[in-house]
Amino acid sequence: MTASIVRPASGRIRLSVPAFGIVLVLLGIGTARMTSLAGEFVTAYPKATLTSVLLFALLAVPFWLFVAELDFLEREPVRLRLIAFAWGGLVATTVSIPGGAALENLIAKLGSPHLAADWGAAIAGPTVEEIAKTLGVVAIVLIARSQVNSVLDGVVYGAMVGLGFQIAEDIVFAVGAVALAGQGDQIQPVITTFLLRGFLSGVWSHTLFGALAGAGVGYLVVRRDPVRAILAVLGAWAAHVLWNSPLLTDGLGNGVLALLGVILLKGLPPLLLILLLVRRLHDREADYYASRLATLRDPELITAGELFALRSGARRAAARRQAPGQAKASVRRLQRAQARLGVELSRASTTGIGHWSSVIRSERAVLKGLGHPEAIAEPTSWRHTASTVLTTVVAIAVLWVALSALGGA
Amino acid sequence: MGRITRRELINLVGAVGVVATLGGLAYGLPALDRSLPSQRAVSSAEPYQVGAGVSVVPPPGATIDVTETRPGENEGTVLFRLGPVRYAIAVRPFRGDLDAAASGLRERITNTAGYQVTGAQLAVSTGGGLAGVQGGYTAPGRGGRYAVFVADGLTIEVTISGNDLDLGRTLPQIEASTRTLRHDGKGR
Repeated sequence: MTASIVRPASGRIRLSVPAFGIVLVLLGIGTARMTSLAGEFVTAYPKATLTSVLLFALLAVPFWLFVAELDFLEREPVRLRLIAFAWGGLVATTVSIPGGAALENLIAKLGSPHLAADWGAAIAGPTVEEIAKTLGVVAIVLIARSQVNSVLDGVVYGAMVGLGFQIAEDIVFAVGAVALAGQGDQIQPVITTFLLRGFLSGVWSHTLFGALAGAGVGYLVVRRDPVRAILAVLGAWAAHVLWNSPLLTDGLGNGVLALLGVILLKGLPPLLLILLLVRRLHDREADYYASRLATLRDPELITAGELFALRSGARRAAARRQAPGQAKASVRRLQRAQARLGVELSRASTTGIGHWSSVIRSERAVLKGLGHPEAIAEPTSWRHTASTVLTTVVAIAVLWVALSALGGA
Repeated sequence: MGRITRRELINLVGAVGVVATLGGLAYGLPALDRSLPSQRAVSSAEPYQVGAGVSVVPPPGATIDVTETRPGENEGTVLFRLGPVRYAIAVRPFRGDLDAAASGLRERITNTAGYQVTGAQLAVSTGGGLAGVQGGYTAPGRGGRYAVFVADGLTIEVTISGNDLDLGRTLPQIEASTRTLRHDGKGR
């Protein structure tokens, strides 16, 4: 554990840098372009467009919460996360629509229509989109360099850019499916697209690729490690290429299980690799802040069991879940305050340390009053594990039945 | 007005780099695309594989536009050009009957601003045994024909568009080409 893993931020954001104005202009242009596109959609298919916006906006919520949990210890400012999200949904999409189409045309012209049909989406989409999205993380670095102080911060901003892109792209695809169906303003193609792109493909989509590319930017600006930076950005591109590629399209047959098999074979390896990397980055950042908190040696502020729980997202969630009814919210507030105290300790901010110590003592008093003085996580029970597995299996089965009924699978 | 610091200058250069890269993607690539020819000669002596096992003999003198031609195992599109006249064929998986396919195509035509379907639909068939319907449509300064066929879980949509003069000159060759549409049952 060294200070080079995390470079504590000052806590202030200087938005007076020249890049901020330029980013605002780009966001303005992207907003105008995407609003114009949305206007066309609403005019032609009002019900389908509003349904798709609503469904995919809801889909963004669990992704946003997951990234927020990843970002639990040293929270990135909401306005920067929103800028990253808006970059993905407004700027990267605006650039990718003409850029991707042009690159696919170039593949057809310089190669052949067959090459473009087979590999156009696999080469053109990832190439243009990953560059446009990664520039969103670069833009965040330019406007708030001090906030990108660990590789995990790059992951968070990259995931936010990717999430914005994913939601906007899904809405465009959903309304496109309505237009292609030629049945008027129907919502069935929207529902099918939502299930296919939102659930089956959503897990290994732009949020994931963006997180990996964001890690690359993090490696470059925090660790000054260009090799890992290039590997991460290329890894994001390669995972995207693999997902879009025609490989295995006919390899496992035409059945429902074959389709699921192809999805898993193409999506699972990058997903697991990226999740392992993100977990490692998270754990290293958590270790850094935990080491600062450990110097306090004050069980009123944090006990050994709470320190252990705070270092892992799963254990933090377990500590909240295992707390009795009213104590759940208080455990969350306690964990949040302990995380903020760790950050303030790293910044050596006397004011911040005093403030968050006071908040922790207050929450500790509340928890003691509720008969739950320590926010620790007991080992996960087999019942919880079995329940999680069963819920997942049932969810996949319900999803598949729904897709089959809608004719999407 | 204060002097710009070195840090601000680097920041500005970085932001300009971001804008330049975005500009390259949004405008540079399309400009490069436009600078290269998109049409290629195609033989009218043998069938052209549109996709999903569907083939058609191109009209004499036609070229294919490679930017809108995407042959595939399960679906495919081809755009032929005869001078200014566009002759497009799209093959897609489809679960429905001929009426539904024709209705869907008409809906998409009339959803384009200024486009209207004209006259009645007529039955049409091809030498390869495909049965379908055909009709016409108009648009400001343009006219068009469409035809739809359904075969073996596929819909085959044909759209032809151009100004009235050019259409009148090329339509007989294009209709002769459409009658060569064939589905060999392979490719899916």
